[in-house]
Amino acid sequence: MNKNLKLTAAVLAVAGLMACNQTAAPPADPYDISKMDLKPAPAKVSAERHKGAFAEGAALSTDAVLKPLDASAVKTVRLDTTHKIIEIAPGVKFSAWTFGDTVPGPTVRARVGDKIKFSMTNRSDEPVPGVRVTAAPMMHSMDFHAAMVSPQDKYRSIAPGQTIEFEFTLNYPGIFMYHCGTPMILEHIASGMYGAVIVEPRNGYPTKADREYVVVQSEFYVKPDPGKQKVDGAPLYVLDSDRLKDARPTHTVFNGVHNGMVKNPLAAKPGERVRIHVLNVGPSRTSSFHIVGTIFDRVWFEGNPDNQMRGMQTVLLGSSNSATVEFMIPEEGSYIMVDHHFANASQGAIGLVSTATRAPAKDLEHHNIPATRTPTEPDAIAGKQAFESKCLACHSIGEGKKLGPDLAGVTKNRSKEWLARWLKEPEKMLQTDEHAKAMLKEYNNIPMPNQSLTDAEIRQFLKYFEWVDAQPAGTAKAHGAH
Amino acid sequence: MRSRPVRRKRMARIEGRLRLAALALLLGASAAALACGYCVEDKIASTYDHALVKRSIEAGHPVAYYHLEGPLAKGEATRRALIAAAESVNGIDRGSVRIALETLTMSFAFDPKRAALATVQNSLDAKLASRKLSLFPMRVIERPAELKEIVRR
Repeated sequence: MNKNLKLTAAVLAVAGLMACNQTAAPPADPYDISKMDLKPAPAKVSAERHKGAFAEGAALSTDAVLKPLDASAVKTVRLDTTHKIIEIAPGVKFSAWTFGDTVPGPTVRARVGDKIKFSMTNRSDEPVPGVRVTAAPMMHSMDFHAAMVSPQDKYRSIAPGQTIEFEFTLNYPGIFMYHCGTPMILEHIASGMYGAVIVEPRNGYPTKADREYVVVQSEFYVKPDPGKQKVDGAPLYVLDSDRLKDARPTHTVFNGVHNGMVKNPLAAKPGERVRIHVLNVGPSRTSSFHIVGTIFDRVWFEGNPDNQMRGMQTVLLGSSNSATVEFMIPEEGSYIMVDHHFANASQGAIGLVSTATRAPAKDLEHHNIPATRTPTEPDAIAGKQAFESKCLACHSIGEGKKLGPDLAGVTKNRSKEWLARWLKEPEKMLQTDEHAKAMLKEYNNIPMPNQSLTDAEIRQFLKYFEWVDAQPAGTAKAHGAH
Repeated sequence: MRSRPVRRKRMARIEGRLRLAALALLLGASAAALACGYCVEDKIASTYDHALVKRSIEAGHPVAYYHLEGPLAKGEATRRALIAAAESVNGIDRGSVRIALETLTMSFAFDPKRAALATVQNSLDAKLASRKLSLFPMRVIERPAELKEIVRR
């Protein structure tokens, strides 16, 4: 073999070896620790009070509809803390603590590799219009589950009037909770201090969705204010510490409002792929998130497409767990989102994805703005809540017939005794009472189910119906889309 | 080969260094435990009373926050005894003592014209010594929204 041939053979051998090595090389690890930013700058705390909007940043969405991803690699996010009154259910005005003046706080949307420049002023001491009925000012903090930082530095509590600023880089994709971490943490979360951070994979999601929403499930533990304070004539509700410690919520809700997404369904059209990012905040219950009428084509547990499951009916989420679910809308209809722990659903964790939805009403929630027309007497309030969670599937108030009659005017057409008996034992009345028999015929032989109501619950329903019929015609309404 | 006295001296030096290292480790661990169990600011949050802070600062009385070190029985009697001990110290405002037994935190407002913070702290430390407790200084609020580290003057 001559010298040139030897050289060529050697070059080819080396090239061959290199090619072999390339073929055998493992794919790059998207979670390569050495490429992550794990050295964020120290946090800064100052006495400079921010006086502008409570929530600021192009990456923020303030309702269930997610804004598209903001393209900038550095996202400036401000979420100030406030104390305010929110309405978690009709007539239930609760003394809440917030991030960005909403419950849940605004959703932050970003992508792996993005830097979040965060600032927060503790504005829990700022006056609110009218008589002050909010909780006393106190220290608060911010704990981002999406960040990898020293809690002692970044998540420290700040006093009213102080501002904290810190930065972090998003290293993992997912749906992450944020919450106040100041003791007693349980009280701060149960009072409303939480929200979601949605972190997309660096190269985006592997599928294309037609609609994208965020749903945050959480619990409230409330009782009427022992001091009997009122807000706009309605009783003020405050945190019930005993229920909180025993994990016995009074309300379990999606996006901060009892049955809120029944009144304002999420829109979709037949044939569309819908993506919902679900976060169960808790603080103490699990969620069995399910949508009646469809199957989750994909479930990305914790919102990370690397944790993929296919063809799921339900996704089980512990406190601070999350999932991204994708599903098709097969045909016209209202697809019911529920926590399939039905005890939770009956407390308000229910909503709709509907092909027949109207444009959502503009959010007017702000400090102590009067609510829409609702009863103020506690029994009537309880009756309204029970009606909206148990009866809306078949009845409306002032919105016409459904599977059963429109109940507007019911106390004028039937005696109180007749209604009480009907609610207590409808199956017996269907055998003996002429009005009940006629109603069954009129409504396609669909019987009124026995809901096993207690006498106290029946009294609450009647109080609510009486309140409805005492309002000017057409002003008290209740409807559901399914 | 070294003689026995030389070896003994060398061993003693090493032992001394080891003791110093162990002490440094212990102190380091103690500070870390304080930071991990409850952040300083979280401990402060547990006795922070905004109305008291506002009122005291307006009167020129700072509010000081301390970690309580030592055996501390939980209960109302302990809380009352600690408040009584603090309120008997010259300079501490009556009605301003706040105790959080869960987070081992004590705070109080004081009148700097009657006694400097170092004097107040030494007097209170002496009173708490009988209960085998000592004060670990954390922060003092002299102006609204400013939590300063306590420096012994």
